[in-house]
Amino acid sequence: MLELRNVCKRFPAVTAVDNVSFSARPGEVTGYLGPNGSGKSTTLKMITGLIGMTSGEILFDGAPIHRDLLKYKRRFGYVPEEPHLYSHLTGLEYLVMVGQLRRLPFKRSADRIDGLLQLLGLHGSRHSPLSAYSKGMRQKVLLSAALLHNPDLILLDEPFSGLDVASALVLRNLLKEMARHGKMVMLSSHELETVERVCTRVVILHRAKVVADDSIERLRTLMALPTLEDIFSQLAVEQDPVSISHQIVDLIVA
Amino acid sequence: MVETQFRILYRQFLFRIVDLELLSGQGEISKLLGQFASLLVFLGMMFSFPLWALTGAGTSAQTRLITSWGLEHFLIATTMLVLGLFAVLSWDSMFPDQRDVLVLAPLPVRASTLFLAKVAAIATGLAVSVAALDVLPGLPAPLAFVPLSSGLLGLPRSFAAYWITMFAAGAFIFCCVLVVQGLAAQMLPRRHFLRVSSFLQITAFCVFVSTYFLQPSLASPEAITAAQNQHWLACLPSYWFLGLFQQLNGSMQPALAPLALRGWLGLAIAGCGAAALYSVSYFRMLGRVAEEPDIVPGFRCLRWLPRLGGQLETAIGHFSIRTLLRSRKHRLILAFYLGIGLALTILFVGLLDALEQPGVASVTHLWRHPNAGMLVSSVVMMFFAVLGTRVGFAMPLDLTANWIFRVTPVGGLTECLPANRRALLVLAVAPVWVGSAVIFLWLWPWWPAAGHLTVLAILGIVAAEVTLAGFRKIPFTCSYLPGKSNLHLTFWLCVSAFGLLVDQGAVLELHALRHTASYSIMIAILLAAAGLARRRTTLMTESEALEFEDAPPPAIMGLGLHQD
Repeated sequence: MLELRNVCKRFPAVTAVDNVSFSARPGEVTGYLGPNGSGKSTTLKMITGLIGMTSGEILFDGAPIHRDLLKYKRRFGYVPEEPHLYSHLTGLEYLVMVGQLRRLPFKRSADRIDGLLQLLGLHGSRHSPLSAYSKGMRQKVLLSAALLHNPDLILLDEPFSGLDVASALVLRNLLKEMARHGKMVMLSSHELETVERVCTRVVILHRAKVVADDSIERLRTLMALPTLEDIFSQLAVEQDPVSISHQIVDLIVA
Repeated sequence: MVETQFRILYRQFLFRIVDLELLSGQGEISKLLGQFASLLVFLGMMFSFPLWALTGAGTSAQTRLITSWGLEHFLIATTMLVLGLFAVLSWDSMFPDQRDVLVLAPLPVRASTLFLAKVAAIATGLAVSVAALDVLPGLPAPLAFVPLSSGLLGLPRSFAAYWITMFAAGAFIFCCVLVVQGLAAQMLPRRHFLRVSSFLQITAFCVFVSTYFLQPSLASPEAITAAQNQHWLACLPSYWFLGLFQQLNGSMQPALAPLALRGWLGLAIAGCGAAALYSVSYFRMLGRVAEEPDIVPGFRCLRWLPRLGGQLETAIGHFSIRTLLRSRKHRLILAFYLGIGLALTILFVGLLDALEQPGVASVTHLWRHPNAGMLVSSVVMMFFAVLGTRVGFAMPLDLTANWIFRVTPVGGLTECLPANRRALLVLAVAPVWVGSAVIFLWLWPWWPAAGHLTVLAILGIVAAEVTLAGFRKIPFTCSYLPGKSNLHLTFWLCVSAFGLLVDQGAVLELHALRHTASYSIMIAILLAAAGLARRRTTLMTESEALEFEDAPPPAIMGLGLHQD
């Protein structure tokens, strides 16, 4: 189980994550939602160890992740928000490199890479440099790299960005399937409809703090609202969207 | 409105002459440019010393004439080299790239405003480079070069002649590069232009460096008038501008008149050619970039590479090889060092020519026996290959993509050091050693060849270990923070010390190759040095964390006097 206890991240001018506590359990897809700048990506970066915490604790299977960071890194896969890849490498070379960095046996790594490239429709362009890949193709490479070592914890930051409809449907089902296999899946996304269909439970962040942490069904019942979008609007959206859109039009036509 | 757009674009283009993406978060572009400028000023200061000596009262007219021609030519040739290198380094920023088009095309900015801002930025870079290099020699130069019978107006005329010549020589070489780029852009489809462009860049670089180091010294009245030198003089632009300077300075000798004419003609042709081709190519490319994005040309080679040890060593080794071979920026850094090494090598080998005496021995005959020139050459190439590769390692590529190394279980520096070591040996030591093996085993008897190749291999390992000491990074993954080292001082001190060491070392090795006992001692000493260097590098990396962000040195240095 992944557990965050009172995690804070303060930058010189701003508190990005404020006293955040929640847990992600095996067999569940946990949605991590929040408006822009609420601290979602910062939290995921702290969970991956890319950035440090100011205070608090992140535990994986009961042990702080920093106690044995290398061992922990072997057990998670991460899809970052932006598809930053080494553009001078081909898709195949990149995945082979990731397999080697993760010290996967050569045969197993080669078989998995080949299979993932076939299944995600990248096999034909595996020898093309990543600079020639579209955003969706790059996203698929990131996804392949995150799944290559069969991780126990999968962290995905806006994984649907740039994917076509068919690929998004594949990913949606893939996440459910991974959870069914006992994996912990943590998904940060702005696509509330997808989150509603995929996630078992959601953590909603607003102004760096957790404002909701429960199953979607229970949140619907508690707040007496029919959809996740309504729940999210009530908890995390301060502005009236209709009024804002009117004001924007007024501003530009004035 | 247009003026504001011009100002904003000019500033952006000026600072984009240097690749900003390699800089650390705490790095400032002004500091990096300041470092380049200070390096040029420092070089200029070194050049100004002999000029001050020439202005002294004790110098005879004949000595002054001969020396001043040599100095004038040296300053002109150096200015042309520096501007040539500037043109090669800013190669990619000459034409609009996809980012320029995607950001600026939707905005109401005229293409002509973009073009003018780009031209102004390039011209500023050019002018600043010439000024930084020539400002300090520019103080004594007019005094040293002023004709004795020139009267009151002689000094200001000499001053004007100096600066006009330097700017003209710099502009000429820069325009030549623009002509080459413009022609390639005009004649080739964009995809092919991108492919050819990187080869042209490296070729231009090699031409500038080798011409500078290898051109014959003809800056004396006798050499200028000698019939056998006329072909060289007609081919070497630095001598054209020597003639041009003499003409402007009022100290023209009849033998220099054809060279001055060549200088003016060359400048006019290069200037007009660059203006026409660059403007046409710029606007043509502006339209094409949006249609044909900057896709890196496909590469079929290097799909398979041999394993380099364990998984981590192989991953880092393959990544390093592919990066160095595919990244133009890194190839250029390596080419810079290899170019200097090659020029010095040709100089050392060229010394053999001087030994050739009619009826005594041919050059081929001299090459076929162990000689200091060839020993020094191979060691120099090894040194510069290792140094260039190591400098390239410190410059990042796609910095934002380094997260993959940070989220995978790579381990600490102790685990990465063997991988870095292997990458440096494969990329720098092995190619030079293999090249040397082919040459030495072909030319020399087997024993001295094998003996020297053993020495060369150990020296390569020592050089790799020394350069890796304190390197806390995975190659090409850490940001670069300029201004951390006194580059100009360190560089010249290292080159001077290396020159002395290698010269004496070659004499010792030559002796050792003839005496087995001496050779055994030499190998033992070198092996001990390699072992010590390796131990030192390993000790320096123990319990150190990997760096992905180059940090400034601490404001307060700890003395480490405490006891746990």
